[in-house]
Amino acid sequence: MRKSLLSILSLLMIASMLLAACGGGAPATEAPADQPAATESGSESPTTSDKQVLKVWSFTNEILTMAIAFEGQNPDVDVQFTMIPMNQGEYQTKIKAAVGTSDVPDVVALEAAFVKEWVEADFLADLNDLLPLADELKTYPSVVQVGTYEGVTKAYSYQATPGAFFYRRSIAKECLGTDDPAEVQALVKDIESFLATAETIKQCNPNYFTVGTSGELFNPFLANRSQPWIVDGALVIDPKVEEYIDFAKLMRDNGYESQANQWSEGWFAGMNDSLVGADGNPKKVFSYFLPTWGLPYVLIPNSGDTGGDWAMINGPLAYQWGGTWVGAMADSANLDLAKEFVAFVALNEENLTNWATGVYTNEYLKAIDPTVSDDQAQAPGDFVSSQVVVEKITPTFDGSALYEWLGGQNNYEAFGQAAPNVNGSLLTGSDDAIQRALESQRDQYLNGEIDKATMWQQWLDNLRSEFPDLIIPEPPQ
Amino acid sequence: MKFTKINRNYYGYFFIAPFIIGFLIFGLYPVYNTIALSFTDYTLMTRSGKNIGLQNFQVLFADQFFLKAVANTWLIWMLNFIPQIGVALLLSAWFTNNRLRIKGVGVWRAIFYLPNLIMPVTIAVLFNALFSFYGPVNQIMVRAGFLSEAMHFLQNVEVSRAIVVFIQWWMWFGQTIIIVMAGMTSIPVHLYEAAMVDGASATQMFRRITLPLLKPILIFIFVTSLVGGMQMFDIPYLLTDGRGAPSNSIMTNNILMYMKFSSSKGHIGAASAVGVVTFIMTTICALGIFFFLRDKDESSFDKSIKKWSWFFKNKEKK
Repeated sequence: MRKSLLSILSLLMIASMLLAACGGGAPATEAPADQPAATESGSESPTTSDKQVLKVWSFTNEILTMAIAFEGQNPDVDVQFTMIPMNQGEYQTKIKAAVGTSDVPDVVALEAAFVKEWVEADFLADLNDLLPLADELKTYPSVVQVGTYEGVTKAYSYQATPGAFFYRRSIAKECLGTDDPAEVQALVKDIESFLATAETIKQCNPNYFTVGTSGELFNPFLANRSQPWIVDGALVIDPKVEEYIDFAKLMRDNGYESQANQWSEGWFAGMNDSLVGADGNPKKVFSYFLPTWGLPYVLIPNSGDTGGDWAMINGPLAYQWGGTWVGAMADSANLDLAKEFVAFVALNEENLTNWATGVYTNEYLKAIDPTVSDDQAQAPGDFVSSQVVVEKITPTFDGSALYEWLGGQNNYEAFGQAAPNVNGSLLTGSDDAIQRALESQRDQYLNGEIDKATMWQQWLDNLRSEFPDLIIPEPPQ
Repeated sequence: MKFTKINRNYYGYFFIAPFIIGFLIFGLYPVYNTIALSFTDYTLMTRSGKNIGLQNFQVLFADQFFLKAVANTWLIWMLNFIPQIGVALLLSAWFTNNRLRIKGVGVWRAIFYLPNLIMPVTIAVLFNALFSFYGPVNQIMVRAGFLSEAMHFLQNVEVSRAIVVFIQWWMWFGQTIIIVMAGMTSIPVHLYEAAMVDGASATQMFRRITLPLLKPILIFIFVTSLVGGMQMFDIPYLLTDGRGAPSNSIMTNNILMYMKFSSSKGHIGAASAVGVVTFIMTTICALGIFFFLRDKDESSFDKSIKKWSWFFKNKEKK
């Protein structure tokens, strides 16, 4: 009797350990999928089962705000929103793993760094029938171009992310004799005048740097190429790439840049005048190249008490940087609803207007879904993708907090001038790897560790290893 | 009665069953799957993969960056392992020495082990900030007059490698000390007492008693460190740009594997091939360590051959 009891006990123990072992694995992968959905649909559980369910995955909870607004307009739809962080490519891996399974989401958000990879693959639904809406709203061509591959548009964005040139008014006044945006723009209208102005600033005060790092201009130069990186399976080294390398070397050798790497502490320190050189001298940085989102998320939070001393202009080169696109999965069970959601997020005049002007307050969102968290509200100021909406709402930003921060300048107006000039046709799915490989070798060259020929050679060797099928041209001379 | 007796003999199997099942699912299957994938051209972004034989391996061995990654991995591991085992042996010998009677051994051991508790991510980011262009190292060196002007430490091949080697050493020597000390304290004291009576010096006792009896422990450290070293990833990946900059000098096997996985549409086949080659390389080297460090007179290797001889004999009979 005792022995059989023992064996039963041991079996039970094994079973429980096994369950625990398996149980430990399963929730870890499932939790992010279930949790937000549970909090969202919890309050309206009695009716949830009758509602049409739309599964939306995103790496940013901006989409959740719009999902709640979408529910407000479509009470019979239950949007199950899943937020997965983008850290270390977790989000991208999760979607890739879900494709082809029953867990596949209906709608996915795609960041600029990997949107093209998805647009070039076969997993997103053809959204060409939404194009008339885009025409109606005059969605900026670059936004549509990024979401299009071989004539099929698969993703749209609610944002446009034209880049700008932010500069310090006090330094401009001291060294250039004016802080007027139009006059400063004339002084940096192209790369030659930009370099001349950099020399003026250096002569004016050797502790002033024109930019944090020449790396900030990599994107602007690339945006002005005539061809993308890959054409017909072969790598293309556009003359602009060579021009950029020579430009960066000039900036380094002449001491026009602070040499702090982008996103490093020193780079941020330059935004609030706390940069101190190794020799003990305080240094100042004249300007930063940042896109629409860079203003509220990067520059302002790090600017310390320099607010009001900044201004923005287009700078020497038109470019764009970043952004979030939304697409519907081809395998979605609710493709029509998914399309409707994409149209609402990216191509709905009312939604875009509400989004940009701060209509989606906590009160607004809580009226639809009382369980929403307190920091879900969308502050006014995000730059939207529709030219029609932009033109309509630009005047409302006069006198806003951003307006004061920019020393009396309407940021919306300035971005609105830059947006139509952006070229969105140059992105390809492999851009990120190609560019990071070049940046890695570029820094070695700028620092004088290797010569230019070695730089090109090592970069191309790297690409040969990373993209075995890519046709690699001879290195530039 | 007989039934319960048999049943009781199986209790052991029940108790190890969870581990065995867990190992089969999470240990053996992934290895099998990796090997299987290395013969295909599967990518994450295209669902149709096919068997392409040894093509992934052909491409890999023709790729000079793979050979460079292997060389880097070995160099960085050896440069960190030799001082690691040396310092661990020296400190352990001091800590366990009855004549020195060092106080607070437990405290020291804990302090040496501490770096291992910090996340590698934090350490990599910390060192990146320390050695950045406007970082504290530059500020101190320039103001103290050691450098005429600030330099990009992490753009220099030797400095970057040295930093990785140092971090790896710093993070792991505490762990090695704990294991070596455990081995040393398990050596019977009467051996040392007898040696002392015979008038042996401290060096002689270390060479003739400690080292030979520590051999199994040393082999264990050697092999585990080799396995860990061949899979070195987080520190070199996070210290610079994740591509082994500067000039691919700190690119390791696993960074290369990750690069193959994360670009080119997520080529799982090519990435698995890197993993398989690392696996084979590590296995051969580990077996080599066991073989060369065995007891020469009656090695456990020879013993195990004897032990299994009945098996072969039985086979011959049939």
